Amino acid sequence: MYTKKTELKNASGLHARPASEFVALAKKFESKVTVQRLDDEAALPANAKSIIKILAQGMAVGTPIEIAADGPDEVEAVEKLYDLVESKFGED
Amino acid sequence: MRILKGNPVSRGIALGKVYIYKAFKADVHESYFEAGKEDEYFEKYEDAVRTAEKELENIIDSMSVESPEKAKIFTAHVEILMDEEVAEGVKEMIYDNRTMPDYAVDEVYTDFANLLEKAKDPLIAARAADLRDVRNRVLRILKGEKESNLSSLRDSVIVVAHDLLPSDTATMDREHVMGIITEVGGATSHTAIIARSYKIPALLGVSDATEIMKNGDNVIMDALTGKVLLDPEKETIKEYQEKLVEYIKEERETSQYLDKIPLVASGERFSIGLNVGSTDPDESFKYVDFVGLFRTEFVYMNSEHMPTEQEQFDSYKKVLANAMGNPVTLRTLDIGGDKTLRYLALPKEDNPFLGNRALRLCLDHPEMFKTQLRAALRASALGPLQIMFPMVGTMDDIRAGKAAVEEAKQELRKQGIAFDEKINVGIMIEIPSIAMIADMAAKEVDFASVGTNDLTQYLHAVDRMNPAITEYFQSMSPSMFRILGRIFAEFNKAGKPVSVCGELAGDHLGALVMFGLGLRKFSMNSANIARVKRTLSLFTLEEAENIAKTAQNLATEADVIAYVKAEVDKRS
Repeated sequence: MYTKKTELKNASGLHARPASEFVALAKKFESKVTVQRLDDEAALPANAKSIIKILAQGMAVGTPIEIAADGPDEVEAVEKLYDLVESKFGED
Repeated sequence: MRILKGNPVSRGIALGKVYIYKAFKADVHESYFEAGKEDEYFEKYEDAVRTAEKELENIIDSMSVESPEKAKIFTAHVEILMDEEVAEGVKEMIYDNRTMPDYAVDEVYTDFANLLEKAKDPLIAARAADLRDVRNRVLRILKGEKESNLSSLRDSVIVVAHDLLPSDTATMDREHVMGIITEVGGATSHTAIIARSYKIPALLGVSDATEIMKNGDNVIMDALTGKVLLDPEKETIKEYQEKLVEYIKEERETSQYLDKIPLVASGERFSIGLNVGSTDPDESFKYVDFVGLFRTEFVYMNSEHMPTEQEQFDSYKKVLANAMGNPVTLRTLDIGGDKTLRYLALPKEDNPFLGNRALRLCLDHPEMFKTQLRAALRASALGPLQIMFPMVGTMDDIRAGKAAVEEAKQELRKQGIAFDEKINVGIMIEIPSIAMIADMAAKEVDFASVGTNDLTQYLHAVDRMNPAITEYFQSMSPSMFRILGRIFAEFNKAGKPVSVCGELAGDHLGALVMFGLGLRKFSMNSANIARVKRTLSLFTLEEAENIAKTAQNLATEADVIAYVKAEVDKRS
């Protein structure tokens, strides 16, 4: 299991197109990948390969999150998804 | 040969094959299968998903060039269809509980839709509608029913439906729809208005049309006299092919008036406006003096979520650019009645046309209203835009609407955002109660525009959606011309502009009478411009005034129509 924490920096958060890109990237890895919001104690890790689960989290700009992966390509999965978040999904 | 009758709400003739449009209704019951058939049933589900994916990809392919925005909706549907958790959920129900695939699909999608609906963000909550849409697609495929939707028609057809909803017409493939026949709806229903603006012949109120006709039936649709001819004989087909040629020729002659300056025979100028309901460029903008009605509903109806201020501003900006410097009258959101939004839950009303609609609804949702007013005000910095409220019944309504504009202005001022400080604010006159005090209303507004469809509906107490009473919907009645005369006179006296943007302005007979009553501004769909210019050019002001006076004093609408038509025919 490999994890990394960050914060959503793009204006639209993990909605619409950014959410689609995030899920599409997560699906490229064999590992089980999850995203958990850290500002809500009741929040459970959500399957990063499910657009519906990701959308249901309602993660807006500024939300602190933890990306976690478990499996053969866990490090690469987390790093690549982390980079995508850091790139602000090409917004600005 | 059998003949069906209907109400010809958009003129024209069409000969061709029937396409029955039935929105799929899911009918799912809790049911289970016997042990040992798990693999078989799961495979059925997977097959359905593959078929659904193929369908969606075909739609995306056909849309991606012309309307990439609409294609995006269906790309999102593919994502949902392929969602890992959905697949897991269905698989579990099939293998662990031996649930029939349709019931499993219904349960899983409904659960997820409910989950999304709880999201605080309205953008996300609105995605629940997409889940239901995908669910219906999969359920339909599981049932073995073919895809039926109007966005991807392969051949030219005459569409036959119980009714067409705004969302159906938004995705309708205009190129391939030769005609529209529906079982319900009158001259001012959504379908009728869209058909006229697309210049597609339409016959509404054809009882049991979807039962009597079948896919692929050959029919002739005569939307001049209001008939559908089923299984016509060779001679009839030939006769109608000739009629069609003649009709096109007549239309072409009238169309020569399109770019003429609108003048009556005695030289008085009147002005022609255009009614618009989209950001599409339209060459008709060249032939008009103003945009008398900019319906903003499409911004809301084509969206999956409550449109943001920026999204609205972008649309308004485009319409101002299309209008090429001519004034644009923006009507604030007019929903309720026959128009609803999928992401805004509104309670069912027994009398929606007498209910919480248009301005009433906006005043009830101040944040939604303010977003629109801010977007409109911001657009007013870019060109001549004016704001108009629909469904105004009292002076209280006028004051509440103006106060909301004032509040939005204050906010923008504080934020240093530009807008036209002197923007005109006006009202629709469609409720008799405001018509009766037009003199007082004229003092508090900058302008007014008469919506003759709703004015007829409210003056005559006739639900314009009810096909059983279309004959009671009389917009050319002497009562209408009396109340219209009063409205025009009061606004002319107060020196405030008054126009008509309802269907009656685009009806050449109605326009003639209203010219005689003092109206000079007529706003209409592009299809009617040439005809109105031509008919009015045949009369002097004095003749029109005499015709108007006579029309106000004839006993029935039929008398009025026969009289005015005879006057026009005499001069044609």
